[in-house]
Amino acid sequence: MPVPALSLSDCRVLIVDDNEFNRKSLALVIRRAGITDIAFAENGREGLAAVDRFRPDLVLLDVDMPVMNGWEMCEALRRNATHEELPVLFQTALDSDEEQVRCFEAGGSDFISKPIKPGECVARVRHQLEKRKLFSDLAAFRERVQRELSHARAMQTSLLPEKRRLAEVADRYGLTLDAHFETSSELGGDFWGLYPLGDRRLGLLMVDFAGHGITAAINTFRLHTLIDRFPMHHVAPSQWLAQLNAALKDVLPTGQFATAFFGILDLAIDTLTFAAAGSPNPVLGTPAGVKGDGPDIRLLDSAGLVLGASRRAQYVDRSFRLPRGGFLFLYSDALIECGGDELGPLGQDAVPDFVRDALAKDRVHPLGPMMDSFYARTRLPLRDDLTAVWVARRA
Amino acid sequence: MEFKTIRTDAVPEIRLSGRMEFTDHDRLVEIVTELHEMPGSRVVLDLAGLEFIDSAGLGMLLILQEEAETRNTKLIVRGAAGDVRRSIELARLSEIITFEH
Repeated sequence: MPVPALSLSDCRVLIVDDNEFNRKSLALVIRRAGITDIAFAENGREGLAAVDRFRPDLVLLDVDMPVMNGWEMCEALRRNATHEELPVLFQTALDSDEEQVRCFEAGGSDFISKPIKPGECVARVRHQLEKRKLFSDLAAFRERVQRELSHARAMQTSLLPEKRRLAEVADRYGLTLDAHFETSSELGGDFWGLYPLGDRRLGLLMVDFAGHGITAAINTFRLHTLIDRFPMHHVAPSQWLAQLNAALKDVLPTGQFATAFFGILDLAIDTLTFAAAGSPNPVLGTPAGVKGDGPDIRLLDSAGLVLGASRRAQYVDRSFRLPRGGFLFLYSDALIECGGDELGPLGQDAVPDFVRDALAKDRVHPLGPMMDSFYARTRLPLRDDLTAVWVARRA
Repeated sequence: MEFKTIRTDAVPEIRLSGRMEFTDHDRLVEIVTELHEMPGSRVVLDLAGLEFIDSAGLGMLLILQEEAETRNTKLIVRGAAGDVRRSIELARLSEIITFEH
């Protein structure tokens, strides 16, 4: 992108030179280029004081001066973090290679040779000032984006059930409910929710928008408003998902979509009925039989056309027994796709053993040990949102 | 992700390799350009060299399908194996895109 020429009129330049004629002629050259805010110093020590007092955008610095020479002044400047980025242009009559290298070693940004050639001088001054301006603009932009990202992260988290709400729902339905949610460094598109449907039925939804970044996060807000438009009470999960799909197809551009799990747990008939749209395979656990020594743990098929890709998508209901003592574990793909330096990602097939190991450590709240073992093997910051929800029926 | 275009007398091919993920969006633009420049009414997208695809990568396949449709080209995706095939099947993209194995 072409950068518009920078106006030099609001730039401040400090000229440090022990020779009055040089100071005046340099000032004349840059004044013609539009720079009017100019201060002077006669040696390095005065120069350092002037930098603190005058806060220049650029220093034109002579090398050979009494009290403190230009190299010493520049080295002193660079030791101070505040002035690390301040452009310093040496003006030097010494045109040996060694002397010029010395200017850069002292921390100079560039140099101009004496006698001063007005055109070259202005061009180099302008170049340095433009670079400084771009740099500070970028730094300010980055800071602003980071502030906004963390604000958006907080908003995204506020859409999810709070701890207190989890406890309320768990008590009402005789469940153990634990959840973990962490947004990626760049924001993500995970969402999950709990929906009480009378005294014996509970809706469970988990959605993951493709990709990450601000777009994915915005989609979770869209979703949040859509959910309220479709009552869950009297429709099968597959129908509800089909309605959500059609609504998302209207608002999502091609290439953006979501995977989803939507299930209804019916306590009266000990049954979980769900429809899925390409979410990672949920884990279902049922208590062992009379002679069994541990729960029966398996991955459930969750294939289904992702939400928002086609208006014609159809979903199927799948039903499984989920009696007292049984559990359901839902998670977003970050759990199986994010890896570390030593161990690769967990992968879908390893999830049942991952759950089994955690149950051996904590039979009631295995989510804690699961997350400990995930974070122990995974490189941070996470590249994608991680959501994990543990739903168990109390025995 | 890397891609290579093969223009044969028969059906032209675009071969993808490596990892197709969130950071490949710039590549997608290049592939779309290639797609638009290909002669004929059929194009094969070969995924045999692809090791991994994430949800953003699946989204790119949907975009390529739509791009092909808008210029009346039949897009045939083939060669998906292992985890890539599994991801595509989980998301049931075969309801929208033509896959050949």
